[in-house]
Amino acid sequence: MATAEIPYQETMPLHHPKTWIGKYVFSQDHKVIAVQYGITAIAVGLVALVLSDLMRIQIAWPGEMAWFVEDFYYQSITMHGMIMVIYLLTAFLLGAFGNFTVPLMCGARDMVFPFVNMLSYWVYLISVIILLLGYIPGLGGPTGAGWTLYPPQTITEGTPGADWGITTMLASLAVFIVAFTMGGLNYITTILQARTRGMSLMRMPLTVWGIFVATFLGLLAFPALFVSAVMMILDLKIGTSFFMPAIVSLGETLAYDGGQPLLFQHLFWFFGHPEVYIVALPAFGVVSDLISVHARKNIFGYRLMVWALVFIGILSFIVWAHHMFVAGMHPYFGFFFATTTLIIAVPTAIKVYNWILTLWKANIKLTVPMLYALSFVLTFIMGGITGLFLGNVIIDIPLSDTYFVVAHFHMVMGVSPILAIFGGIYHWYPKLTGRMLNDTVGKWHFWITFLGTYIIYFPMHYLGFIGVPRRYYENFDSSFYPQSAQDLNELISVTALFVGAAQLLYIGNLIWSYFYGKPAGDNPWGANSLEWCTPDTPPSHGNWGDKLPTVHRWAYDYSVPGAERDFIPQNVPQEQTA
Amino acid sequence: MRKLLDHHVALLLGLVVIGSVIFNVWSPWQFTEIASNWKFIDFTVMVTWWICGVAFVILGLFMAWAIWRYKYHESGESHYEPEHPVLESWLTIITAIGVVIMLAPGLIVWDDYIQVPSDAMEIEVLGEQWTWKFRFPGEDGILGTTAVKKNVVRGLEETTYEANMTSLNPFGMRDDDPYGEDDILVASNILHVPLGRNIKMVLRSKDVLHDFWVPEIRAKMDMVPGMITYFWFRPTRTGEFEILCAELCGRGHHIMRGTMYIDTQEDFEAWLDTQVTWAEMKAGQKPESPIVAKGRQIADQNGCFACHSLDGTEVVGPTWQGLWNREITLSDGSVVVADEAYIIESIVDPAVKLVEGYGSVMTPYSFTDDEMAALLSFLQEATNAP
Amino acid sequence: MAEAAHEESGPLTTIVNDWSSDVSTFKAVPWGKAMMWIFLLSDTFIFTSFLVSYMTVRMTSTDPWPEPSAVFALEFLGTPVPLLLIAIMTFILITSSGTMAMAVNMGYARRKKQVFWLMLATALLGASFVGMQAFEWTKLITGEGVKAWTNPMGSAQFGSFFFMITGFHGLHVSAGVVYLAIVAWRVLRGKYEHTNYEIVEITGLYWHFVDLVWVFIFAFFYLW
Repeated sequence: MATAEIPYQETMPLHHPKTWIGKYVFSQDHKVIAVQYGITAIAVGLVALVLSDLMRIQIAWPGEMAWFVEDFYYQSITMHGMIMVIYLLTAFLLGAFGNFTVPLMCGARDMVFPFVNMLSYWVYLISVIILLLGYIPGLGGPTGAGWTLYPPQTITEGTPGADWGITTMLASLAVFIVAFTMGGLNYITTILQARTRGMSLMRMPLTVWGIFVATFLGLLAFPALFVSAVMMILDLKIGTSFFMPAIVSLGETLAYDGGQPLLFQHLFWFFGHPEVYIVALPAFGVVSDLISVHARKNIFGYRLMVWALVFIGILSFIVWAHHMFVAGMHPYFGFFFATTTLIIAVPTAIKVYNWILTLWKANIKLTVPMLYALSFVLTFIMGGITGLFLGNVIIDIPLSDTYFVVAHFHMVMGVSPILAIFGGIYHWYPKLTGRMLNDTVGKWHFWITFLGTYIIYFPMHYLGFIGVPRRYYENFDSSFYPQSAQDLNELISVTALFVGAAQLLYIGNLIWSYFYGKPAGDNPWGANSLEWCTPDTPPSHGNWGDKLPTVHRWAYDYSVPGAERDFIPQNVPQEQTA
Repeated sequence: MRKLLDHHVALLLGLVVIGSVIFNVWSPWQFTEIASNWKFIDFTVMVTWWICGVAFVILGLFMAWAIWRYKYHESGESHYEPEHPVLESWLTIITAIGVVIMLAPGLIVWDDYIQVPSDAMEIEVLGEQWTWKFRFPGEDGILGTTAVKKNVVRGLEETTYEANMTSLNPFGMRDDDPYGEDDILVASNILHVPLGRNIKMVLRSKDVLHDFWVPEIRAKMDMVPGMITYFWFRPTRTGEFEILCAELCGRGHHIMRGTMYIDTQEDFEAWLDTQVTWAEMKAGQKPESPIVAKGRQIADQNGCFACHSLDGTEVVGPTWQGLWNREITLSDGSVVVADEAYIIESIVDPAVKLVEGYGSVMTPYSFTDDEMAALLSFLQEATNAP
Repeated sequence: MAEAAHEESGPLTTIVNDWSSDVSTFKAVPWGKAMMWIFLLSDTFIFTSFLVSYMTVRMTSTDPWPEPSAVFALEFLGTPVPLLLIAIMTFILITSSGTMAMAVNMGYARRKKQVFWLMLATALLGASFVGMQAFEWTKLITGEGVKAWTNPMGSAQFGSFFFMITGFHGLHVSAGVVYLAIVAWRVLRGKYEHTNYEIVEITGLYWHFVDLVWVFIFAFFYLW
């Protein structure tokens, strides 16, 4: 690191916007773009939340809402799933957290190509609008094929939205992929090529590492989704038969012939499994940083944490077919994919151990962001070990397509990343706005959300053991379900409605604190990473004033023996602490 | 008390872990009683369940304890130790051992699962939106081949074909395959299987993905149109079991159910004797006049039989059996006679008069006068039968 | 690691030093070039997905697959010559890679005029490639009756994949032609004098990539 390389960004001319629109609407400032991504993602996420509540009402009290017919139910399943996975979690963790943290934590002025970055947001917004166009009345509504969009079902008449709905869905996904690519190229290039002095890769905070690996996964995984979307839209509109064999759909013999439904599933899951880690890895990173900061202790085993991220990222490309154990693919694939899937458990478990070992002999401040981070670890353990059930091919046979699967993936990639997002927002909000969020409201929201989601999803595994199949509009008239299972379902639904409503607390807190929150100061948590060392709070355009900061240490120097304070920010030179 | 309040986070996290254990012990919701040879599946589940459960409890309680023990003190200081390679290696090794213990039995049972015993009898399951059909190979022990289309001609402008899976040939049997003649066709969603025999379920779908699943059997596999998939099992107790579709297959996914009876060999054979073979089914079909045949073709092409049966089977819509001039109770309680006018109205504007017990799911159809006349002749002919 | 020795400069040491250094991982690589490399990596996955899908469908197809040398033959002086048009198209595209490489070279030398003309030549070669592709499509559709949804010679997927993949590649070439034309025009206007013409090299990266993809498409569609 003796290179006297001057970061190009330090000398790069920065064009400050002069108009209000240039500053807040068509802004090229990564922080504004982050907020735009965040607000849009939360808004569309609220739509998905309402859909989930409607589904829970139908499941617990079938027929009570007469207008909530089969089509609405299956459309809600699909839209809820797709919005949550793509338009909320991916967009928030990479679009909002990625944009906000990457330049600040790397010590850059902005993303390397701010204009492309701005476009990324607006294209994302367009994709969200196209997605919601599915709801235009009179056109058959959005697709009800389930978020996995398996053909031939997706584009045949027996499925709601088989014409207009699926078209908007596929178009929206293609546009989203464009948006993601524009953003993702920026994050990667910024991290690789535009760090500040002294910021080596192995000094980067784990948040940046998580986002870095996740973005790579996205850039390599989304192409498969793009290709499958193109092929499906050709099947639908032109009449090709990529995924469509000869079938008799509702009595009508269709012209399709010779296509392969399983090809779609392979393409989809080649995207779909890395997608799980696109959501999980940034959450891993955020939680690692939160735990370390608020436990006032260095993250345990930093290097191993980095390598675990990289290793998980690579492995995530060779495990996809564990989603297809009952799909009818060649049975020998079962051996391979079960093995790779269980191997991935090892680096994942290491991450969990290291989070917990970070708490050991620490000095834990139970701030609200720390509560979210701690609960993330618990829900992630739960979601991770149930993944070991489903990844083991023979155990997947009785459990696949039951509520066990629903409980598993909601725990591991619904609740866990959402808790990480809540924690992350809580942690960075003071830097973004200069004000603290209200702790009382925060604690109420935390306990309701954490305990509530646990009550929702933990018992749901047991419904799966009984064999309750997922994606059933009506469940409980079957001979082998005890009445008690229906009572359990009602409990789950009541809790879900309550937890859903409680999310307003958090949103209210975000709005209220923006105006009336306690002033935060530059570094309210006593954190080390660079974003807390900006000359202004909130950071101004360009982040660092005239000179970029110089990094002298890793981001985890907490409670260093002999130091006067229990934290040493990254930009403090060695000699000042000795 | 004050101390407990101080440590409420640690306590609550610990309680969540302990509560999960208590819930598990107390839970009445466990695997259904098994009815097949796949008890080893349950065994591998238990192996994984124990390893994972113990890991969950240890990790969760350790975390709760750490939060209690190392809660923030102004004077407190955490231990500065970036890495501990020995500890990390041990944890990695222990995890890897746990993974191997879980994986090995799983793979062994999987090997068993995918290798069908040579003495297994074949039963074909045909899935369609949203019901099941079954086929037995008959005396020759061989299932005849099937096809969705026949007379496919690849022209310069387009490919033409004729439908092979019609209401007259619901299984899509091929004309040119003699093995199919003695196949026993069960065109209802009720299946009987014999106790104690190895059974290979040969899975086929007519339209979209389905998944034949009986929870008590444990085994399942998707049915993929254009492919033939399979699984095998051996029934170990008699009884009545519900068949579910376990792969989302459209708006009627949740009503795609059926019943599987596990019978003694004698009961099973008695049931099988009452079923018709493909040859018998063909012989029983009377020749139809051209206009009736055209009407049937129209009904086939428009998918009417997906929802309306001719033999009284309940599908999505009301059956057509004995429809003509029958008295019908409507959803508002009134009674009408199913005459020509009513039937036409129900075709072009189905939402107006709904039959009691059925929802408004049918889309309106429009036909030319010729087509409507043919359709009505067919309906009169086919549904007038006693 | 602060005292990383610069003296020992084996390739491995250099890589390790670069990756463990601060500021930038790929030394002296401009941002735009790094970004283009990463984009091309992503794009590679798109074409790989297309081609792998094609391969699996072709290998498992139960219907006959047309013989490429017969389908893609061109009448020349009364005798059908297999793959004649494709050979010309491939030759043109590879030639355009050559002119592009020369343009990049001229860019290093800051010879504005030469860069402009060579890029223009590249764009024209690319445009003629697209034109020939249009001709080939027309011949296939009207002459042989191969459509995206039907194929008198056998498997309908032959036409589906052919039109989709060559079409997608053709879109890449067309976009490249526009990209080349714009950059060439801006070069002539002197817009890149202050940036060492690095944009020319970046455009070249994209163009070579498109050519490389064509080689794979050529091999998988016409030679298999």
